[in-house]
Amino acid sequence: MLEMFEMEFMQRAWMAGLLMAITCPLIGSFLVLRRQSLIGDGLGHIAFAGVAGGALVGFSSVLSAAIATIIGALAIEKVRTKLSDLADMVLAIFFYCGMGLAVIFTGLNKEGGFNLSSVLFGSLMTVSTQDLWIVAALALATIIFVIIFYRPLQYLTFDETSAKVNGLPVAGLSLLLAILTALTIALSMRIVGLLLVSAMMVIPVACALQTSRSFATTILQSIFYGIVSVVFGLSISYYANLAPGGTIVLTSTILFVLSLILGKSKRIRPAPDPIHCKVCDEEKEETKCNHPDFPEYKKGHHHGRQERDE
Amino acid sequence: MENIISVRNLGFDYGDGWVFHKLDLDVPRGDFVAVIGANGAGKSTLMKMLAHAMPPTMGSISYYGTPIEKFDQWEKVGYVPQNPAKMQRDFPISVREVVALGLISKYKLWQRFGSEEEKKIDKALATFRLTDLQTRKIGELSGGQQQRVFLARAMVKEPEILLLDEPATGIDAASKIDLYDMLAEINGEQGVTIIMISHDLELAAQAAKSALCINHGICFRGEVHEALQHHHKHGYFYR
Repeated sequence: MLEMFEMEFMQRAWMAGLLMAITCPLIGSFLVLRRQSLIGDGLGHIAFAGVAGGALVGFSSVLSAAIATIIGALAIEKVRTKLSDLADMVLAIFFYCGMGLAVIFTGLNKEGGFNLSSVLFGSLMTVSTQDLWIVAALALATIIFVIIFYRPLQYLTFDETSAKVNGLPVAGLSLLLAILTALTIALSMRIVGLLLVSAMMVIPVACALQTSRSFATTILQSIFYGIVSVVFGLSISYYANLAPGGTIVLTSTILFVLSLILGKSKRIRPAPDPIHCKVCDEEKEETKCNHPDFPEYKKGHHHGRQERDE
Repeated sequence: MENIISVRNLGFDYGDGWVFHKLDLDVPRGDFVAVIGANGAGKSTLMKMLAHAMPPTMGSISYYGTPIEKFDQWEKVGYVPQNPAKMQRDFPISVREVVALGLISKYKLWQRFGSEEEKKIDKALATFRLTDLQTRKIGELSGGQQQRVFLARAMVKEPEILLLDEPATGIDAASKIDLYDMLAEINGEQGVTIIMISHDLELAAQAAKSALCINHGICFRGEVHEALQHHHKHGYFYR
């Protein structure tokens, strides 16, 4: 069992995988709850254009992907706020545009310069020490960002209008979140690949949504599910000689099915609103309070209302 | 009495004609203003402008004599949104977490909550009878209970002004009465100035001290019964 930790490339793969298992669900929690689950997928397409464009002009693939995704994320955020009614459609156009550019750049590039398969499907086993430092820096930046701005982020995720009314810098925080999302996509593409990076932002969060009962536990549980997916996915891929990216994502999908079953028992249906009887000073499950001293309430009147009318 | 909100010559146009224009509104401290009018009359638009979530096409709004663009004391203003019961049911946030959101301000973005804040949250939960429900997810509550949570969130920072955008939409009759009772208490006992959009004319008339009626650009500000008469005359006539 321990043999897979003996090789240096595997140690780096484990470190990179675990860092991604923390970063992706951490950012993904806010995206999924803001109903932007597919933004990671779309930004992956734009990152692909960045990588292909970078290879065409002889630029670092990670850096060119990062620049392309940041520009894409900022544009998407602008569209989301300015054209909220058309946001879904415009986003799709953005993504197709990214894919179109990627295809054109790849076609123009006669000299190669990037490994298409590695970009699309990841190459966890070839993660370099430099890659590892970059992913570690991203993880640290993401954790610090979420710790510092946890409550404002929670507010704007839950109720953006009220957060704005409370005077919070909603636009600024949304932009920071968009930039961090873009960087996560661009820097994690080496690990599971551009086509699957958004899966790690969505599936662990989807698992946590089935079993958690608060915002804080959703974030913590999504990281837990992310780590479990990477640990089991990487182990299975090593021993079964399968592609690590795909195995991690399929492991997390199995976890989702398990969390659905586990979460079903935890669900509570909305209870009917109890009536507060001001005379008894008690919550009543019935819609009327049948206090013996107040026969008129038996006719269907509510204590609070009666008291005020009198 | 001191006017804490002043609206002058306010108008809004979505691009296809005035929703309303030349609206003047003075709200003295301690007032409870019911904003009534037909659907589409511009009530929610007015509320969004008062909450600084939308700029007016013309005119000005000021809080405590300061133009809304320069006003920076939003901790004095509580806001209860329209129909929160419609929110996604599975949103993973507990009642306590929702109430705690009310304490976040732009000056305390990264401040951790200490015992003082926790006490305020406990107090708000108790006041709005939510203590037993504080660990429940918001989507697991009934419409009336959810509305109490949003009222607690707005009141936890002890505001001087409370803006409510149709707070009783989507909740049953008994919960509505309960809600209006609470609002009357907040206004009467704590002296909080309230501006509330309402379609429950009878209940709003009992709770409010004055009213603003907006119907197809025609605005009337005055006593509640006069505003109701105005609403019955213009609101139904134009429909």
